[in-house]
Order: sequence, then structure tokens, then C-alpha cells
Amino acid sequence: MRKTIVTMLSAALLASLPVLARSPAPQNAQVYFIWPSDGMVIHHAFWVRMGLRNMGVAPKGTDIANTGHHHLLIDVDLPENMNEPVASDRNHLHFGAGETEARIELPPGRHTLQLLLADKDHIPHDPPVVSKKITVTVK
Amino acid sequence: MRTLFAAAAIVTILGGASAATPAPSGAYLYIGWPNDGQVVSSGKPIRVWFGLRNMGVAPKGVKFPNTGHHHLLIDTDTPGPGVEIPNDRQHLHFGTGETETTIELPPGTHTLQLVMGDEQHLTFDPSVQSKKITITVR
Repeated sequence: MRKTIVTMLSAALLASLPVLARSPAPQNAQVYFIWPSDGMVIHHAFWVRMGLRNMGVAPKGTDIANTGHHHLLIDVDLPENMNEPVASDRNHLHFGAGETEARIELPPGRHTLQLLLADKDHIPHDPPVVSKKITVTVK
Repeated sequence: MRTLFAAAAIVTILGGASAATPAPSGAYLYIGWPNDGQVVSSGKPIRVWFGLRNMGVAPKGVKFPNTGHHHLLIDTDTPGPGVEIPNDRQHLHFGTGETETTIELPPGTHTLQLVMGDEQHLTFDPSVQSKKITITVR
């Protein structure tokens, strides 16, 4: 009986761990696009300028409160599970070296862009610090 | 002979201590806002955007290749390469990795300039610094 309780307790503890692992973000933290802006028609190669308010930028692996690094989501929705690290693929660009600007190339057509800040382990903050999803047209 | 070794050791130590972090190749620092020559109204905070290309931001004390943290210099000159950036009202440190700020300035003409510091607040060699801009508050 005692063993069962201990097992149940450990299971409960383990289940709650990913939630505990998320880094808190200040309520007034804000990530946004300085450039481009929503609806803009742009050249196929451009600099994305990533803006952040009331928080700081830190490279991946840096354990300092109220910091994170930028992720640029291209033509994709926000991750469903914010307790997991942000995917790393062609639709999810990581800026783990603390970059605040990035040179991006996109094929002609309409594209969506969205910024998502994540902590030292690439896990979004709690609450998640997310920009508006913008649409740009590459001519 | 022993003196020679000692001298060599001292030179090594001094050399190591004064060696500035080399600037990342292609690093480009600029003030995204306000613009050079901009006139802003007094009595409300001025937002300053820190623009940085080909280099990353890291809080003070964080050793990570090709990163540094921003310093905003107000009405003063940059200290030059490999020098510790003073910490006073004319040299604002952004040691938490901030990439923008708001400042308040009295009416008149002011200069603004950004300079990057490494994990020990030392400027890079060559110094990664923005153009010095002039704004007018009135």
C-alpha cells in the first residue's frame, strides 16, 4: 500500500515536471516585428528585425531570469504543446546565438511570420511570449 | 635565466588580461530609432531601438561566441577598443540582454551612440559601435 502511494506520488511529480520546467515571463513582456510589418510586399531576400520589450535576449543554455531567445515561425501555426521544446526545422528557425536580426529568403507568394520566444531549453515561457502572426507577400 | 622566465610570465599575464575580445566578422551595430537629426518632443520618453547584425546578444557574464551586450552612450564619446565601459548616467548598460529602451532627456541637442561590450563590459577590438547620432529634444 505504502509502495503504491509512493509510486503514485512519484508519477504525479513526474507528470508535473514539464510544467514546472517552463520559465516564467513577465506579464508585460512583448515580442514583435520591427520589420517587416503586417501586409507588406517585400523582396525575396530580406532582414527580419525582432523586437522585444520588458525582457532580454540570451543565447540558448543561458539560465538567467526574464531572458530568452527568438524563434521565427514561417508558414506554420504556434506549437500545440508549449511544454515541449520548439521544433527545429525549415518552418521553425532558432536564433540560439542571441541574434536579433536575421536574413531570410522566401519564394514568391504569401507567407506568414510569427515570433515565439523560448528559454534556455527552447521551451516557450509561461505565459508564452508570442508576436502577432503577420502576412507578407514576396513579389 | 630565471628573471627572463619571470619577465616572460608577466608579459603573458599582462597580455592575457589586456587582450580584447576580437569583434565578430561583419558585426554591424546601429540605432534603429530615433533617426539621426530627429526632433523629438520633451516630456515624453524616447524609445531607442538597438540594431545588431552578424552578432548576437547575451547578458553580462555570459560567455558565448560572437555575442555581447548593448551600451547606450549619451552626450559622450566611445572609450575605444578593449576598454571597460564606464557605468554612469552617460553610459547606460543593458546587462540583461535588452534590445531596446526608453530614455528621458532635457530639452536641447544630444548625441546617442551604441557600443557593444563583452561579458566583462570591455569593448571589442575593433570596437563594435554605431554611428553617433544627434537628436534635438524640444
